[in-house]
Amino acid sequence: MASLIPCPHCGIRPKEEFSIRGDASLVRPDPESSDETWNDYVHIRANPRGRYREHWQHVAGCRRWLVVERDTFTHEVFSVSDGAVRPWETSR
Amino acid sequence: MVHQYADRHTLEGLVPADVSAGADHLAVAARQAIVVVLAAPGQEAAVAHLLASDEDLSARFSAPGEWLVISGLQTPELLHQALAALLGDMAHCIDQSHGRVLLRLTGLNARAILAKGAGLDLHPSAFSVGQSANVLCGHISVNLARVGDDAFEIVVMRSFADTLLHDLRDMGRAFDLTTAFLA
Repeated sequence: MASLIPCPHCGIRPKEEFSIRGDASLVRPDPESSDETWNDYVHIRANPRGRYREHWQHVAGCRRWLVVERDTFTHEVFSVSDGAVRPWETSR
Repeated sequence: MVHQYADRHTLEGLVPADVSAGADHLAVAARQAIVVVLAAPGQEAAVAHLLASDEDLSARFSAPGEWLVISGLQTPELLHQALAALLGDMAHCIDQSHGRVLLRLTGLNARAILAKGAGLDLHPSAFSVGQSANVLCGHISVNLARVGDDAFEIVVMRSFADTLLHDLRDMGRAFDLTTAFLA
């Protein structure tokens, strides 16, 4: 587990200050989608070895939702951004 | 049985009133004026500018667009009124004077004491005088501000103050940390 997270608002902080929600790359399906699509969206998760993008909340700090891009194998943190700013979503 | 809710400090009975301050000292403010200011969307920079323009106000960074505003001179009611008048529709102001406890840690070892509990770089080059941040101290989330080279102010939620005081005394035991109410 990556142990130091550079929060864009608070600076470098230990992981104990954060809580993790999970995969940030999921895109919510259309409300009229099939049950199978919704089941996949709600329950089915990959458990990748390597680069992973997750929602983290800085609960003991600024309390903002962040998007942390990290490597689950080497623990390297590639980027941390505020959850309100999601540049990759505009291109989807 | 009559309960006196409003007049009783939550740390009353736990902190002596008549202890002379040692080299490293933790002072508990007997009363304080603290207001949470939450800027309206898009008004963050303007609110920050207004808060910085008033010398009596000390705005502690809590989150983007959110500050704990502390005044050493005004009563809670007056501070709340002053902020509402200053900021108008640009921000929400919520009086937290009775919901928080203000502690001031001073002394040459203040940094070493805090470093035992807070996962924050406290070196002056990383956390200079006037800077503030929410940080985990032990397992309690507090707002920490550097008010001098060897002076820090901690704002903690009232219900956590008892435990935090206990933790800070443990952290300061090696340095003979003294504790007293601020006169």
